Amino acid sequence: MCPGKRVYHQQGKMMRMLLKTLFLIALFLGSVTAQADEWDAIKEKARGQMIYFNAWGGSDVINDYIRWAANVVEARYGVMVKHVKITDIGDVISRILAEKSAGRKTGGSVDLMWINGENFKAMKKHGLLFGPFSQKLPNYRFVDTVNKPTVLFDFTTPVEHMEAPWGMAQLVFMVDTNRVNWHPADMKQLLLFAKKFPGRVTYPAPPSFYGTTFIKQALLELATDKTPLYQPVAEGNFDQVTAPLWAFLDALHPFMWRKGNTFTSGAPEMKQLLDDGEIYISLSFNPNDASNAIANGELPDSIRTYVHKGGTIGNTHFVAIPFNSDAKEGAMVFADFLMSPEAQLQKAKPAIWGDPTVLAMDKLNPGDRKAFEALPLGIATLSASELGQVLLEPDASWVDALEKAWQKRYHR
Amino acid sequence: MQRVISSKKARRLGLFPVITLACFLSAIVSGLISTWVQSLGYLPSIGATRISWDPWIRLFSQPGFGSSLKTTLVSGIGAALLALASTFLLFAVSYHNRFWKMLNQALAPLLAIPHAAFAIGFLFLASPSGWFLRLLSPGLTGFDVPPDWSMVKDTAGLSLMLVLVLKEVPFLVLMSLSALSRIDVAGSLAVGRSLGYQAVQVWGRILLPQLYPKIRLAFFAVLAYSLSVVDIALIVGPTAPPTLATQVFRWFNDPDLEHRLLGSAGATLILLLVVGSIGLLVILEIGAARLMRGWLVNGQRRFPMFLPAVISNFFILVVVGFSLLALLVLVTWSFTWRWRFPDFLPETWSLRFWQKGLMQMADPIRNTISIGLTAAFLGVVLVVGCLENEVRMQKQGLSTGTAGMLWLIYLPLLVPQIAFLFGVQVILALFRLDGFWPSLVWSHLLFVLPYVFLSLGPIYRSYDQRFTDIGLTLCHSPWRVFLRVKLPILLRPLLFSFAIGFSVSVAQYLPTLFMGAGRFDTITTEAVNLASGSDRRIVAVYALSQLLTPLLVFLAALLIPRFYFRQRKSMQV
Amino acid sequence: MLTLRSIQIFSAGNPLFPPLSLDIAAGEIASIMGPSGCGKSTLMSAICGNLANVFTLSGDVLLNDRSVLTLPMENRRIGILFQDDLLFPHMSIAENLAFALPRELDRKKRKARIEDALEKADLPGFAKRDPATLSGGQRARVSLLRSLLAEPEALLLDEPFSKLDQALKDQIRVFVFETIRRMNIPALLVSHDHRDCPPGQVINLANGRT
Repeated sequence: MCPGKRVYHQQGKMMRMLLKTLFLIALFLGSVTAQADEWDAIKEKARGQMIYFNAWGGSDVINDYIRWAANVVEARYGVMVKHVKITDIGDVISRILAEKSAGRKTGGSVDLMWINGENFKAMKKHGLLFGPFSQKLPNYRFVDTVNKPTVLFDFTTPVEHMEAPWGMAQLVFMVDTNRVNWHPADMKQLLLFAKKFPGRVTYPAPPSFYGTTFIKQALLELATDKTPLYQPVAEGNFDQVTAPLWAFLDALHPFMWRKGNTFTSGAPEMKQLLDDGEIYISLSFNPNDASNAIANGELPDSIRTYVHKGGTIGNTHFVAIPFNSDAKEGAMVFADFLMSPEAQLQKAKPAIWGDPTVLAMDKLNPGDRKAFEALPLGIATLSASELGQVLLEPDASWVDALEKAWQKRYHR
Repeated sequence: MQRVISSKKARRLGLFPVITLACFLSAIVSGLISTWVQSLGYLPSIGATRISWDPWIRLFSQPGFGSSLKTTLVSGIGAALLALASTFLLFAVSYHNRFWKMLNQALAPLLAIPHAAFAIGFLFLASPSGWFLRLLSPGLTGFDVPPDWSMVKDTAGLSLMLVLVLKEVPFLVLMSLSALSRIDVAGSLAVGRSLGYQAVQVWGRILLPQLYPKIRLAFFAVLAYSLSVVDIALIVGPTAPPTLATQVFRWFNDPDLEHRLLGSAGATLILLLVVGSIGLLVILEIGAARLMRGWLVNGQRRFPMFLPAVISNFFILVVVGFSLLALLVLVTWSFTWRWRFPDFLPETWSLRFWQKGLMQMADPIRNTISIGLTAAFLGVVLVVGCLENEVRMQKQGLSTGTAGMLWLIYLPLLVPQIAFLFGVQVILALFRLDGFWPSLVWSHLLFVLPYVFLSLGPIYRSYDQRFTDIGLTLCHSPWRVFLRVKLPILLRPLLFSFAIGFSVSVAQYLPTLFMGAGRFDTITTEAVNLASGSDRRIVAVYALSQLLTPLLVFLAALLIPRFYFRQRKSMQV
Repeated sequence: MLTLRSIQIFSAGNPLFPPLSLDIAAGEIASIMGPSGCGKSTLMSAICGNLANVFTLSGDVLLNDRSVLTLPMENRRIGILFQDDLLFPHMSIAENLAFALPRELDRKKRKARIEDALEKADLPGFAKRDPATLSGGQRARVSLLRSLLAEPEALLLDEPFSKLDQALKDQIRVFVFETIRRMNIPALLVSHDHRDCPPGQVINLANGRT
């Protein structure tokens, strides 16, 4: 082979590589531009829209955050956000269902809703959602899809971009160190605790999602074989798998608050009981809840957060858009803002809400990353390492099965 | 005989009853049918198109169903019977004594306190960490932490029953006072006592038997309410399992959409319970009337008064006192920063929650007031129209069919709200009328109308027609006479009925939730939503706001006539 | 015998009429006259024990030489008849009459007394009738007999004829006075119409003179 030809050959190879790269860059730029174009079009359409954001209104802290976010979005994008405070998202689903039943394909009363878990599953199954849409949101690229698998699988239901991640939740417990000087490290020790301090331990009744999560946590800790829990529930082995759970609860109830005859409606009510001293242990899904409550005067400053040594259940909570919303663009703009590093940082501030972020630190720019890492911890908040392992939620079908079985056993 | 000539304009008055009836019946009938259809399994949006008894079968096999049913019946029927018995006892034993005067003066404010605010106050008073125990601890009880007692939200539903009784007795007393004004009480007491009977015996044998038929419908309304109440049950009712109405409400909100059918079946069951209880009471009434004829005239003139008097007077103190204390505890909590058990008063105070609350409440308050004022105004206009039409018909000698009318007026109060409101929501959604402000006002109007009718009717009818007759001879325009003679004379009762209509609208919970499609928060929906567990301080602020709003309108209703007629002595009733 | 001794009734410290003293023998019907508003009905309520709290009473009322002022109304054994017949609308005629009978009587005796009373009122067979179906005059007769069936020791009549038709008044007056005389109890009647007064003592309340 003569040297000239080799050079020619090499040059050709390089040319081809260059062309290929240029082509890919062009493609990428093109798609990005196309995406950017699409997003610009969405932002344009969103300007002037009013969206009804249906979200749980039982926490002042969260309501204040939503108000802050709404003000920013209105100033920056001209989208007006109305926070519709609800107690139970089921009510909203009911309404959307009624609308679908009446053939109302546009002009729905809900534009954006805060949901997760079995609610998402129900809406997805009945075709009540708009989407897939979260892939269109520019800030989605910061979402941690590697270390936080629950952003892709909501209670094991594939998300498939039908909802946009908003924050993380992890089951934590709170104890009043003024009244007791030790706390249980797992469910079995919780039973011992209850026996030592009868009437001072309780959990919310399913189907409250706090109660159901407590039951799931107990089941995850006590089940001998955890694999059936990550598959759809099967009639055959349900009793066998859940036997240790019922044995535990049967043993616990007589030592519980009100001897297990009455239950609380959820973590907020338990927080009040904790403050009164009616119970000594409470629970929450927000690791920053205790610090927030202390800062707000809801709890005394002797409250401390703790987790069980084997890890506690965690999941992601999302926002979703109903199929018949008339303001889908505005809803998407708001959902995108909620995922932005700016909004996520504000949300994670202990003084504001303290809700953990869904974003991946390594995907952020250095300035944002530093800001996250510099967040102070509240006096009753555990650090990320102290929070320990996050256990994955069981399959969504277990929720209904467990709730029904619990109600059958304990609703006399 | 001279024929009374009715002008064309006057005949237009006939439209009023038609519009009013159309308002009521259309909502109730369509809502009921829609709910019944769903209870049989027909709800296309979730793919349920097969008519079957399946939802009913599932209803009866729900875990805890039996217990729910029992609690509902005990607290519902128990509360209604106890309220009636207490009312009768109060009249028979405490009529016109010192305690009675206290009750009378407190009656209007007692009625103006909305149910939710009262229930929240009760919760803050009577729970193990409530004010009563803080008063007694640690001094008398030695408690450093609240005892593990089931004082509110008890499984038997007794605290629910107590709250219902405390709220229903003032209502029954009011209805009784109105009914008794048509009986010569003083004369009957004089005759009875001159024949040797103690006053309480005269009440028992002469007056109460005449009173009961007149308040029968009000009593049935109390019964229907007690069996189907949701907002009070959410606050002080049992939780595991809850009452049937609460459970149905939860099913309507359940993410599993199949539960809507279950909810419809449950709601229809509640309707059947109400109808059945009313039927049972009618039968009991007939039976008792027969059996008691002998007792009425057996001549027993004495009655040991000591214990009944103590119970009755004590009960008045409890009714008035509880409301007062509930108010106080709400006020205290609203200004609290930290208040640990067992301190009697908060250790630190703060205005923060009022500031925060008022800021957050701006929208709900605006909604509450606008809906309330509109519904009350429309209610008064419609009722006045119907009553004027009645006057016109009486002048022509036409019968007005009052007995049937009365049942129709009471219908929205007798049919449980939960039995038809969801059905109406589905129908409204069909026409895209849900979440529409006029639909919401209309749904409130449905419940405002009966109360306005009941409060305005007797007084309107007792208006001396001769004023109008003379006015017509002086100035020949009926419209002018109406505006310048009849309305001013009736100003005070009109404003009072307006205030009552307004407070009924403020207190509505389920209609706002269902009809408003979540677009309209009112003070009441916010307060009930927060009451289940939220920060007591903000709940107290909301509850007080829910309470103060109608009170302010009542105050206006009191002061405006006083000012307007400040130089007219005979108008100062 | 019914005795009023220096009876005076005060309203906010002011007497309504000059002190009144009166003796009424058994079987006698005394009358008190006066214009409307002079306190006749108040006097009646004071004697039978139903005086409203806004008034105060001075003097004494004696029935068969026993003061009755310390006794509550139901124990005074003084009957009263009003302008309105006040028959209880939820009871039949017989039940209205039975209401007045003492407890101790057995059923046979009760029935006998009621029938006897109906005879006297010239209303035989009216036992099961609804009071609303009777005429004004019939109701007035039943009302009187009801008061008398309770066997009062004295009877007060507060303008008992004023609501009756002119034609009826004479008839009823005669019936009432005869029946009372037969019962041989003292009776006191107040009226503003002098034709209502039977022969006997007639006092003018305003000036105490006959």
